[in-house]
Amino acid sequence: MTIIASSAETRIKPSTDKKSNRLQVTKLNNKMVNEYWQSLFQAPQEGKLVCWYEGIQMNPFLQAADIAWCHGEAAAALLAARKEEGPSQKVAEEAGYDRELCSYARTHAGCAVMRTESGTPETMGGANPKELSLAERIPAPDMIISAYPFCSTGQQWDETIYKIYGKKVPIFNISMPWIWGNEPSSKYMSGPEFRESVAFMVKQLKECIAFIEEQTGKPFDYDKLSEIMAYTKKAAQLRMEAKALCKVKPSPANFFEWTNSIAPVNFLPGGQEIVDYYAKKKAEIQERIDAGIGSVPVEKYRLFWDGIMNWNKIGYLSDKFANYDACVVSGRYTHLGFWQDYQVIDVDDPIEGMAMNFLTCPISVSAPQMIERIIDHCEEYSIDGILLHGARTCRAFSYPQFLIADAVGKRLGMPVAMFEGDMVDESFYKDELINSRVEAMLEQIDAKKGRWV
Amino acid sequence: MDANVLKILDKFSRVANDPNGAAKAWKEATGGKVVGTFAMHFPAEVVHAAGALPVLLQSDEEQITEGHGGMYPFFCGYTRSLVDQNIKGKFDYLDCIMFGDHCVQLLSAADVIRIQNPSLHVGFYQLIPALKDNWSFENAERTLIRLKEAIEGKLGATISDDSLRNSICVFNKNRQLIRRLYELRRDRRIRLSAVHMQAILKSSMVMDKAEHNSLLAELVASLERNPVDPTADGSVPLYLSGHLCHATKPRILELIESCGATVVDDDLYHGFRYVSIDAAESGDPIKSLTSWYLDRNTVVPCPTRLDPKVDWDGWLLEAVKKADASGLVVLMPKFCEPHYFSYPRIKKTFEAAQFPHLRLETEHEFNAYEGMRVRVESFLEMIKHRQAMAAV
Repeated sequence: MTIIASSAETRIKPSTDKKSNRLQVTKLNNKMVNEYWQSLFQAPQEGKLVCWYEGIQMNPFLQAADIAWCHGEAAAALLAARKEEGPSQKVAEEAGYDRELCSYARTHAGCAVMRTESGTPETMGGANPKELSLAERIPAPDMIISAYPFCSTGQQWDETIYKIYGKKVPIFNISMPWIWGNEPSSKYMSGPEFRESVAFMVKQLKECIAFIEEQTGKPFDYDKLSEIMAYTKKAAQLRMEAKALCKVKPSPANFFEWTNSIAPVNFLPGGQEIVDYYAKKKAEIQERIDAGIGSVPVEKYRLFWDGIMNWNKIGYLSDKFANYDACVVSGRYTHLGFWQDYQVIDVDDPIEGMAMNFLTCPISVSAPQMIERIIDHCEEYSIDGILLHGARTCRAFSYPQFLIADAVGKRLGMPVAMFEGDMVDESFYKDELINSRVEAMLEQIDAKKGRWV
Repeated sequence: MDANVLKILDKFSRVANDPNGAAKAWKEATGGKVVGTFAMHFPAEVVHAAGALPVLLQSDEEQITEGHGGMYPFFCGYTRSLVDQNIKGKFDYLDCIMFGDHCVQLLSAADVIRIQNPSLHVGFYQLIPALKDNWSFENAERTLIRLKEAIEGKLGATISDDSLRNSICVFNKNRQLIRRLYELRRDRRIRLSAVHMQAILKSSMVMDKAEHNSLLAELVASLERNPVDPTADGSVPLYLSGHLCHATKPRILELIESCGATVVDDDLYHGFRYVSIDAAESGDPIKSLTSWYLDRNTVVPCPTRLDPKVDWDGWLLEAVKKADASGLVVLMPKFCEPHYFSYPRIKKTFEAAQFPHLRLETEHEFNAYEGMRVRVESFLEMIKHRQAMAAV
């Protein structure tokens, strides 16, 4: 990157030849993700029941019951990451689902519409599954579990899927309380309101287990759940430790790496593989620290990403910021969620600890508590500026961003760059707008650090 | 219309046009406390029973300006308007805000409001959106108990069972009187424009219910004395659906009727939806309000509530037929996700039944009124053409 400074103009110009320094271990994540989707595509042939769900991590419960699962956001993100989101979004739009509707939901609903209109691979006149698009290969649900934190759209999305399938697929709903904090006694993971909410979640999760038993016709295997959660807890611990290593300068890994490796703590099966993955990731990060290798060739700026990810832009954005000599060190989505409070999980009786994690995921915590966590995080990770990605169709993630901007500006004197984009609808992404906002923020950081003097 | 009817409608319209001003005037006149609430299913009886005035905070007619600094433009007009009004100090007269509806955009606005205005307490008591789960009653009842305790605490009042039962009766009376107007309108016995009907509903959400009841009773009696068929002029009877939490712009309602239509029924929030069901007047009043909340969907389905067995689209088709309307106009506020989810099924159901329907997307500002007019006119022409062909 070069800095052009004159009396008339002060501008930041990105270089074009830099690439972020990707971790080798990410290839292992990609392999695990591919294997998971392949196993899901084959689940019906193997006689497995398939559950569709959105939101919180219900997969340990399903895995314990030997049910295959499709996480709606993960499916939409997969399609976007592979540039295959177009057909299902088009089908949804043709069916009447508005473009301003949550793009995860729209993409996923499009998959359901495609499946109900064209049939299953088994009924497509012997179509070779390998010739089907990714969206078409996602097996239809035998059951639906709805458990969405904060975002009311999540429950409505599940109900929509249920109705697209003609109300023939059994559905179980978990109503997640939002931790609002009516009284001063309400703090992060404590206070009467939180305890009451946890108790309500535990009750519903236990009812959900009864629903799962009804679907499988077998008693639920609590020992297996404990075993899965033991792996998950260990993986989460290693992940949090690995992330904490990135407080050093230069940061050995960036936000996009953490985004890329969200699957093991989001929807991959809990087992030794996910533990090994984060152990290797932690080890590679430590090696980089020992060798003084950063995640970007030059780390002049350390940034925080607030908001959900543009799944079709991960690699592109990773390199874009490398060319600004900026490392996006961390983010709300990756660093404040996904078994983030793993230590409260008692693996012998994991449901309460799971509920506590579900209730404190990045969108389940209201703004006053969330802002405090972000401010603490920015200080811990020596953040210079915040990128606020207003995902146009994810109101749940985007709404507090003006509040965050105001709070970090007033309390930390930290500049921000706000821009619009989306999770899986590329049409909302405007590259030149991002450039100008980011460049303005980097100039502010330089000015604050006296780099222009 | 007789002079008394016009006078009452004028009173309701003035309140509807300046709801904050009306509530503030009530506070100044009575010295009472005012609690702001949000749509859609909040049991305002609990506030009333504490001796305070519950005011359902409305979308403001004013253009959003300062509010843009608190909320992205891709939130619905209602929530952006609430944030805008708050920043401009229009809620400063409130003693607190209490609400209970789980809607991501409403919760977002409430969170922004409480941070931008720390002196205004905003309490959220989450009404379980799933209405028919085994634990729905228990959870909703617990929420209402917490809400009652919170209102008592914030207002320094005690809410007895008797006072709550009395409030339920007052609210029921209000709902019944408005439902009577709907019945008369559905039967083509009264002429009330869609704008007037909205003013009646909107003022009910703001005014002291006893005063509103008294005026309503007079209005109903006067209208019943002078029945008139509003569609005798050959206008096309229409049913309006949508706008689940805030009022449609009066200009849009006027526009629809000025094209040669008469609105004969609706399921709007500022319409029949708001008054669709009563609460039991005897027994434990908290249990009564719990049932009132959980049973609302069975009378007029709300897509913001979770009740997989209930279909808004099927219900709507029957309601439109029952009203003997010739067409359905779906009024869909931009960015309303529950409505976005539901619309494809409404479209499918009405297309399958070969029943004319028109979707109009509405916005807080920048409504393309002339384009809307052309669409409504074309829709009405299409209905008339279809009717003429059927008569041949």
